[in-house]
Amino acid sequence: MPGPETSAPALRFESLSVRLGRQQILEDIRADVPAGSSTVLVGPNGAGKTTLLHCLLGNVRYSGQIHVDWSDGAQRPLDWSDGAQRPRIGYVPQHLQAEAGLPLLVSEFLALSHQLRPLWLGLKRKIRDKIHAAMHLVHAGHLADCRLGDLSGGELRRVLLANALALNPLLLILDEPAVGVDIQGEHLFWAVLDAARIERGFTLLMVSHNLSLAARYATRMICLNKRVIAQGEPRSALTAGTLLELFSVPIHLYPDQCRVANYTCPQCGT
Amino acid sequence: MTDFSPIYDILGLLPLEGMRLRFMQQALLALLLLAPMAAVLGVEVISFRMAFFSDAIGHSAFTSVALGLLLDVDPRLSMPIFGVLMGMAIMAVRRGSNLSADTVIGIVFSAVIAFGLAVVSRFNGMARNMQQFLYGDILTVTEDEITFLAALFAMMIVFQAAGYNRLLAIALNPVMAKAHGVRVAFWQYSFVGLLALIVTFSVWAVGILLVTALLIVPAAAARNFTRTAGGMFWWSCFVGLASAVSGLTISAKESFTTACGATIILVACCFFAASLVYARLRDRLRTD
Repeated sequence: MPGPETSAPALRFESLSVRLGRQQILEDIRADVPAGSSTVLVGPNGAGKTTLLHCLLGNVRYSGQIHVDWSDGAQRPLDWSDGAQRPRIGYVPQHLQAEAGLPLLVSEFLALSHQLRPLWLGLKRKIRDKIHAAMHLVHAGHLADCRLGDLSGGELRRVLLANALALNPLLLILDEPAVGVDIQGEHLFWAVLDAARIERGFTLLMVSHNLSLAARYATRMICLNKRVIAQGEPRSALTAGTLLELFSVPIHLYPDQCRVANYTCPQCGT
Repeated sequence: MTDFSPIYDILGLLPLEGMRLRFMQQALLALLLLAPMAAVLGVEVISFRMAFFSDAIGHSAFTSVALGLLLDVDPRLSMPIFGVLMGMAIMAVRRGSNLSADTVIGIVFSAVIAFGLAVVSRFNGMARNMQQFLYGDILTVTEDEITFLAALFAMMIVFQAAGYNRLLAIALNPVMAKAHGVRVAFWQYSFVGLLALIVTFSVWAVGILLVTALLIVPAAAARNFTRTAGGMFWWSCFVGLASAVSGLTISAKESFTTACGATIILVACCFFAASLVYARLRDRLRTD
């Protein structure tokens, strides 16, 4: 029987709100992240995208609930207290707080999350093999013996992805993982990520600003600006009208949607 | 109480200046225990960018000694207790506020020193008691303190075996560490508690003014000597130990007779200078 430990879960945000002092950061968020989907959160700066991820990661207090729906039918609120059952999570941050001169090899960095033996006693052979497999998966096998501080932006992002993938996550969370990476590097990142998701079947939830790549690779979009503006498949969620409401600039990801009648496009006049 | 006589007998055989004297043997044993502990914690202090924090704990010695004298508590008891409490308080404020670590530590640091100085200035004669903490004096270390250091040493080995990877993960990105199963708050508070204890002992060895150097100079030199996080641990231990033994021996020479703590730090700084030259040469060779 596929148990909670082996299958990717679905997530449901139910009436989730976050308030910091007098400021409403998120308001009545109701959204679904289907099991095994590639769900991308988009929205302008300050829309609360990263805050929503932090709610999921147990770092921000919120009202409402986040439900985890397991494949065996069990439904539980997400609970970060000690001993509570949670899906195995992999997290890819925007950046590391590492100085350029920090003596830390890429293989050592990956071992931090996978090996109990302290780094000063060396890496176990089994862990070394596991790390190399994860690095090859993201086309970064040649980087294992490089210093972390010597990597380019694109290489570092793929190493961070390899680090999360090596945990065999059921839920992979990424917070603008390709920010500051050139176009080629970002394309490679999304392609590698999509291939890994299809191969392993984990649920993916990612914050991104790259609408065209999101439209190409995502299976579900959540458009957010303090509240959910739209959600669904990319083609139905990323309409010109929604994007205009989100970013206040005309964006036509799907040219035929330019003829939608319920808004006025300042660029084409429709 | 533990009998260290067999260890002293072995240390007495070392061909080092003045090593036949019992107080020198005690000082050496204390440094052999303290220096690697400080050096290894220094690796984490650098990773967490907490040099200022250890300085603040060191300076809290002013207040804890003053409080100890006021309340008739032995300063050697009031110092570690107050140091640990202050470390926990700084970490709690830091975790619960949006202020930067430097700002939080700076505020607590100032408050503690101001209070210590106010008490010292209020009571005549207290300033004289403070002097030994300013400069440190490892040569007056007692058997009880060595026993405590030995217990702390054992605890440190367990802590570093279980926590080295986790602390480094937290330093790199605490959100990622938590998501990947590290109990961030537990390790941060444990680290701060242990660091406060080591800093307190280091104050007795090298004095308030040089306590941070005992922690960070060996670790900073280690950063230049190696490219790996595992190597940094061992290099830091080596530089810390070599500086402590050389510093104690040099300070005991008749031609020097300098303050032991200051001499240890000067030797460590020489190691750091050598590490800089080594790193430059290595980088130049790599680019050629």
